[in-house]
Amino acid sequence: MTGLAVDDAAWASAWRRRSPADKLLLCGGLVACALALPAWPGSVLVGLTAVVLALGPARVPARTFGRAVRWPLAFIAVGALTSVVTVGTGGLGWAPDAATRAGSLTGHALAGSAAVLLLATTTPVSDLLPALRGLRVPAAVVEVAAVTYRLLFVLLASLHAVREAQTARMGYATVGRGYRSSGALAAAVLTRSWDRARRMQEGLAGRGMETGLRVLPEVLPSSRAFVTATVVGLAALVTVGLLA
Amino acid sequence: MHIAEGFLPVTHAVGWTLAAAPFVVHGARQVVAEVRERPENTLLLGAAGAFTFVLSAVKLPSFTGSSSHPTGTGAGAVLFRPPVMALLGTIVLLFQALLLAHGGLTTLGANAFAMAVVGPWAGYGAYRLTRRLGGGLPPGVFAAMAVADLATYVTTAGQLALALPDAGTGVAGAFAKFLSVFALTQVPLAVGEGLLGVLLFRVLTANARPELERLGLLRPEPAR
Repeated sequence: MTGLAVDDAAWASAWRRRSPADKLLLCGGLVACALALPAWPGSVLVGLTAVVLALGPARVPARTFGRAVRWPLAFIAVGALTSVVTVGTGGLGWAPDAATRAGSLTGHALAGSAAVLLLATTTPVSDLLPALRGLRVPAAVVEVAAVTYRLLFVLLASLHAVREAQTARMGYATVGRGYRSSGALAAAVLTRSWDRARRMQEGLAGRGMETGLRVLPEVLPSSRAFVTATVVGLAALVTVGLLA
Repeated sequence: MHIAEGFLPVTHAVGWTLAAAPFVVHGARQVVAEVRERPENTLLLGAAGAFTFVLSAVKLPSFTGSSSHPTGTGAGAVLFRPPVMALLGTIVLLFQALLLAHGGLTTLGANAFAMAVVGPWAGYGAYRLTRRLGGGLPPGVFAAMAVADLATYVTTAGQLALALPDAGTGVAGAFAKFLSVFALTQVPLAVGEGLLGVLLFRVLTANARPELERLGLLRPEPAR
């Protein structure tokens, strides 16, 4: 358990051992379809496909998927509603094509979010970072991102431990105490991150690894059947989305 | 407040990615040069990125009874400077999209432009101005964190207005709508984040003064 439900789901997913490139092809294709196809029926089909694949073959817990989708859902609902409300001299009103516009916006956004969530809940970030090298991102930047990913779980654990202790001491009993506790919490996390980085550096230097934290990437071979099914499935989605 | 996946049309998503790219590439070049000169700083930079991510998990008590989360880019801009924050902020946004389902991949460019470019630069500008006008570290940090938050939110409202203009009043009307809707949460959050920054740096001044001196935020104390 890492403390982040989406990351936990990714490590436990039945697709964990699948090639990250294969999953990027599938999820990238679904995101492209979600954006490019008409909302009805294209985006609806894309969204359904992503949800069915996540909850079915990838065996992502429905509760995790549902909880993760709440954040984008809240933004999409507020954003779509705001975009179709008009403010004029007569007060508030609806835009002439309000239902169509809101439906289209919500469809594209929900389908796209579901496709990204399919990738996020089946592929740990540490599997995706080596792919950045393929996009010609400098090795130093990828390494900083990898250290960020590894350290953030340590810092999250510190954050939860300190906050639990503060809460037990009535640190959040009033708004004023809550602010003081939050400031102390942020400072504790920052100083711990510096301390952790310094100790890691000393440990690595002691082992002669002075150019950083180098690890062998795990090789997860591509599946021809998965890639074929992805291409055929995406082609079917485009055909149905455009012709229906 | 990050723009969700699929919320922007393709042309806007590409446009904002191109707008953010020079700043992120500039930040990446600075990081590459820093790491080449001092390889040990890889871990410090990674720690800075992790701190920015984790800061967004600090619950900020709200005066309305609920709670919200700081963006952390104002503190990052003061501590690590805006060019580095352009890269670290983009990495954090990528991780937020993949680990928390906040934001998205095609909207990463737009979110990076608002939160990793405009926010840190505006916050750092406010910090420098406050210090130049004679303000100490606490007022400077308050200005940096509040302005970074407000600038991020105003930029996001502008991005949404350009993508979704109002049927009657166009982009200007849509900008006013998005500003007023998100102001309900973002204005109190900006003030709260400023206060959090003051408390954060007060604790750091007491407990981590050498680090703040090394980062150039405080003058070294005269030897006794």
